[in-house]
Amino acid sequence: MPRSLEDTIAAIATAPGPAGLAVVRVSGAQALGAADVVFRASGRAGRAEAVTLTAADSHTLHHGWAVDAHGARLDEVVAAIFRAPRSYTREDVVEFSCHGGGQSARRVLAALLAAGARLAGPGEFTLRAFVLGRLDLAQAEAVADLIHAETAAAADLALAQLAGELSRRIAALAERVTDALATVEAHVDFAEDVGGVEVPQSVREELREVSAALGALIASGAYARAVRGGVPAAIVGRPNAGKSSLFNALLGEARAIVAPVAGTTRDRVSEAIEIAGVRVMLSDTAGLREIGDAGHAVEGAAGAWAGDAIEAVGMQRAVAALQGAALVLWVVDASSPLAAEDRAVAARVAALPRARVVVALNKADLPARVAAEDVMALVPGARAQAVSALSGAGVEALRGAIAHALGGGDAGDAPALAGAVADPRHAEALARARDAVQRASAAAAQALPGEIVALELREALAAIGEVTGTHIGEDLLDRIFNRFCIGK
Amino acid sequence: MNAQTPADMAAARAARQAQAERREGSWDVVVIGAGHAGCEAAHACARMGLRTALLTVRIEDTAKMSCNPAIGGIAKGHMVREIDALGGVMGRITDLAGIQFKMLNRGRGPAVWSPRAQCDKAQYSAQMLALLDAVPGLEFVAGIANHVRLERGRVAGVELADGRVLGARAVVITPGTFLNGLIHIGPRKLEGGRIGEHAARALSECLAELGLERGRLKTGTPPRLHRDSIDWSALVPAPGDAVPVPFSHWTAVLELEQVLCWATHTNEATHRVIREAMHLSPLYSGEIAGVGPRYCPSLEDKVVKFPERVSHHIFLEPEGRDVDEVYVNGVSTSMPQEVQVAFIHTIRGLERARFIRPGYAVEYDFVLPHQLAPTLEVQKVPGLYLAGQICGTSGYEEAAAQGFIAGVNAALAVQGRAPFVLRRDQAYIGVLIDDLVTKEHREPYRMFTSAAEHRLLLRADNADERLCEIGHELGLVTGDEIAQVRAKLAALDSEAARLARVSVSVPGVGGETRSVRAHDWLARPESTYARLADLGVDLALPPSWRETLEVRLKYRGYIERQQRTASQAAAIDGVMLPPALWDEALNGLSSEAREKLVRWRPATLGQASRITGVSPSDVAVLMVHARRAGKIG
Ligand SMILES: Cc1cc2nc3c(=O)[nH]c(=O)nc-3n(C[C@H](O)[C@H](O)[C@H](O)COP(=O)(O)OP(=O)(O)OC[C@H]3O[C@@H](n4cnc5c(N)ncnc54)[C@H](O)[C@@H]3O)c2cc1C
Ligand SMILES: Nc1nc2c(ncn2[C@@H]2O[C@H](COP(=O)(O)OP(=O)(O)O)[C@@H](O)[C@H]2O)c(=O)[nH]1
Ligand SMILES: [Mg+2]
Repeated sequence: MPRSLEDTIAAIATAPGPAGLAVVRVSGAQALGAADVVFRASGRAGRAEAVTLTAADSHTLHHGWAVDAHGARLDEVVAAIFRAPRSYTREDVVEFSCHGGGQSARRVLAALLAAGARLAGPGEFTLRAFVLGRLDLAQAEAVADLIHAETAAAADLALAQLAGELSRRIAALAERVTDALATVEAHVDFAEDVGGVEVPQSVREELREVSAALGALIASGAYARAVRGGVPAAIVGRPNAGKSSLFNALLGEARAIVAPVAGTTRDRVSEAIEIAGVRVMLSDTAGLREIGDAGHAVEGAAGAWAGDAIEAVGMQRAVAALQGAALVLWVVDASSPLAAEDRAVAARVAALPRARVVVALNKADLPARVAAEDVMALVPGARAQAVSALSGAGVEALRGAIAHALGGGDAGDAPALAGAVADPRHAEALARARDAVQRASAAAAQALPGEIVALELREALAAIGEVTGTHIGEDLLDRIFNRFCIGK
Repeated sequence: MNAQTPADMAAARAARQAQAERREGSWDVVVIGAGHAGCEAAHACARMGLRTALLTVRIEDTAKMSCNPAIGGIAKGHMVREIDALGGVMGRITDLAGIQFKMLNRGRGPAVWSPRAQCDKAQYSAQMLALLDAVPGLEFVAGIANHVRLERGRVAGVELADGRVLGARAVVITPGTFLNGLIHIGPRKLEGGRIGEHAARALSECLAELGLERGRLKTGTPPRLHRDSIDWSALVPAPGDAVPVPFSHWTAVLELEQVLCWATHTNEATHRVIREAMHLSPLYSGEIAGVGPRYCPSLEDKVVKFPERVSHHIFLEPEGRDVDEVYVNGVSTSMPQEVQVAFIHTIRGLERARFIRPGYAVEYDFVLPHQLAPTLEVQKVPGLYLAGQICGTSGYEEAAAQGFIAGVNAALAVQGRAPFVLRRDQAYIGVLIDDLVTKEHREPYRMFTSAAEHRLLLRADNADERLCEIGHELGLVTGDEIAQVRAKLAALDSEAARLARVSVSVPGVGGETRSVRAHDWLARPESTYARLADLGVDLALPPSWRETLEVRLKYRGYIERQQRTASQAAAIDGVMLPPALWDEALNGLSSEAREKLVRWRPATLGQASRITGVSPSDVAVLMVHARRAGKIG
């Protein structure tokens, strides 16, 4: 299906690779609306003013946070508003400046797509600029060349990714969907020849399997995407558990300030480390003291910095880091009994919908006052590792546990990267394909007419076609005629 | 008329033929071939006010059904409804000649309910002839067209085999299977487009001289048997619908008495005869070069390709109410006649059947349709239009649909009016023409519902809603007719609005009584409009309109989804590609796309996007060039 000029489109506008800043651009009639779904303006402490981009003037900048559908913060961003026609495309445009490194830009992009934008094709912003008259005729040839060049580059990239195992897996699934569609179509167009119009039971089963296989393919991509994009990870725990010490131990250098006073670390300190080939963006955070609103967590805290508003801000950031993290390292001081504060942290961690959790039972050089089972009961599904940040004992094993949690497994158990969906564009298209297959299978189960089932399967094939770049289904009639005896 | 004897009638026909064989002169439009395409084309032209000649070999053969005696079926029936809604004639004639009506797939999905009717072949031809005779400005000319005459690169007339010349400002060629037609019956070969008729050789040569690329296709037909030689008691009756529904929006009642068809089937013995004689089939001996339709396979094909099937269905369809000929649906073949007799005699009920005519295969030339514009005008020859089997399709309905489009466009061009093209989301006819001019074709093209991506929008029940206003604007749907349609649509809308207000009491899950809006209740899969009466709601719609309301409510979500994708597609179909574009360098296109585009010369960006090998980014590049060319030009 060719691209429509009516859609609102979004894409990362800056080149991939390490950089200080990445820009995500969204353009179209719904650009401001989609941007507002994703954007939360920063207010002064305790007094969040509701700034919406839809209401903002053209050519203004707005500081705030990009959030996902659950309201979890994705990144600190600056949104720039360009209203039509004074924009690059001559449509309404919002540009989000995010932190560099790709990961946060991709998450902001994903949020915009979830808010209704469509991923822009190669050269599509420029195409619109041209079609809407911002570029003059002399530039037309250049635009055509640009689209071509970008397409060729994207195709090379996609081809490289799709070579081998992955393309075989996707092609095999496309094949199965096409076969299912051929059977459904045969029952629609040639009911008299193939016996009945109902979608056969075998097709319904096949569709269930295909949707599961698509789901597995998408899931397998998580590690691969982690390899490409890096994983945001947060070190959390109550004050003085040894978070900063462990952060340093993992980094192998004294990066964070370590102090025997609770509340020493007031800001997030981030550093990238490499574990099992994955770039892990590790953030040390302020200690979490209270389960409630982090802004009020200072109440009743002991220590020199108690009541300090600065620490409160640090804790607010800790909460944000926690929510934005794909991986959480919970540090427990195993040399003292589990405290209410520990349970409060555990409750927060356990409530995270998607993050993988690793528990560090720290201070293993001291006599243990905490049973591992008691800790694990608080965060089901997590992995635990005894470690001493002080002596360094267990740090390697902790790296192993993190690698495992990332899906990388232990040495020798390397995941099948070759067969995984690394590109978020592909993952998104395959997710749409899976949803469509699921709808098809539900429609068949409800005995809806074959043309409804076919409608969904065609949508699934179109989505898969975006990944493979092929028009699937053109040989539909071949399949029908080869399989069924058509014609009285 | 009533008092005429058969001999009188034959004499009258002969006199008429003789007179038409002398007719000469000049017309606005000359249509060559009074087949299914030609009749629609000539009718549309004349009704649009043009002086129109319908040139054909034998006037008596007007709208002859070369093969099976039936109109419609899945997707084909949809097209007949569309032709009818636009003001064409096929639906009306079918209603006048139909002897068994059946709504296929009733009770299945709404997109595939499809009308089909068995017809009395002689009646079909006679009724078409009578209808066309009554159209002012339409004249029959009898003769064989050999050549299209050009003046200054434009069509100027038609030269006939006997030397006459008919002047014309536009010519529509619809010669069916007659271009270099070659008939095969086993090793026997006969020239002709149908058995016993001529083969248009000169006309095919003429098209080649005009620079058109031709190909060769093949189709086949089963034997015809004598009615009284069949053992009817051994067959299973296959009745039509108890309440037959007319094809045409304008038919109030069906006049002809309905008949039965009969079912039987092949068996192991039949297949054995076929297998043992396979070397005598021109299909398998390599004698036939043309490509045949896979959806309409010969019995030879079925036996070879599906060896595990021990039996295939056969339907015996009388070719008329009082005629001797019975059509044996399901056993199309090109075997030698002895083999045909042998295998027919293995079939239950046909053990002693006598042949009127053997089955045969026919090979013929066609013009690769990528050389046509979506108006069916030949891109290279202004004023020349092609329609029907000559464009690589097969089937009466496909032919009629094209004939209508070609005729209307020929008329519009002569009148200096803008061309008429239906979009893919407007009609199966739009899908048909678009597929013809954008796709590559390896076998005769036939319409299937799966060809239409907006299938839920293109239903047989809403053809009037989609197309009658267009037909009215063309001048082909009368004021009375359009008033009828507008009244129906208004009634549907107001009934939908009323059902949104009215509540009905229905049992809830726990057996308690719940009150729901009537239109929500009707949207449930098991609900019907008629059953609203049991719930105390008066029924305001006549039975024939109810289905449309039910479908609208039950499939609303899906219909809206298709409407959204359709409107996106329509946007790019609205971007015209000026023909001058194809002479430019067009940088930025992939080489495969460029090669295809220059060959196809699509008229719109949408068409370009549907050509195999043209990617979405090629489409984006093309849009840039189109706008540039548009601004300069
Ligand atoms: C043997 C056979 C088997 C078929 N089998 C099938 C099938 O299985 N399924 C299917 O869907 N369809 C089948 N058809 C096709 C169906 O008959 C055609 O699709 C349909 O009739 C085409 O319509 P048309 O208007 O294009 O041409 P036709 O109906 O063939 O009409 C062409 C008319 O043009 C006239 N004509 C031709 N050349 C000239 C000339 N030079 N000058 C003047 N008049 C001329 C002819 O005399 C004829 O009247 C078959 C046809 C044949 C002959
Ligand atoms: N014995 C022992 N002490 C530790 C260990 N890790 C941290 N500490 C001490 O615990 C105190 C708090 O450490 P810090 O890293 O600042 O804790 P944070 O508040 O969680 O960041 C410091 O005095 C550390 O030296 C450990 O593994 N063993
Ligand atoms: Mg610290």
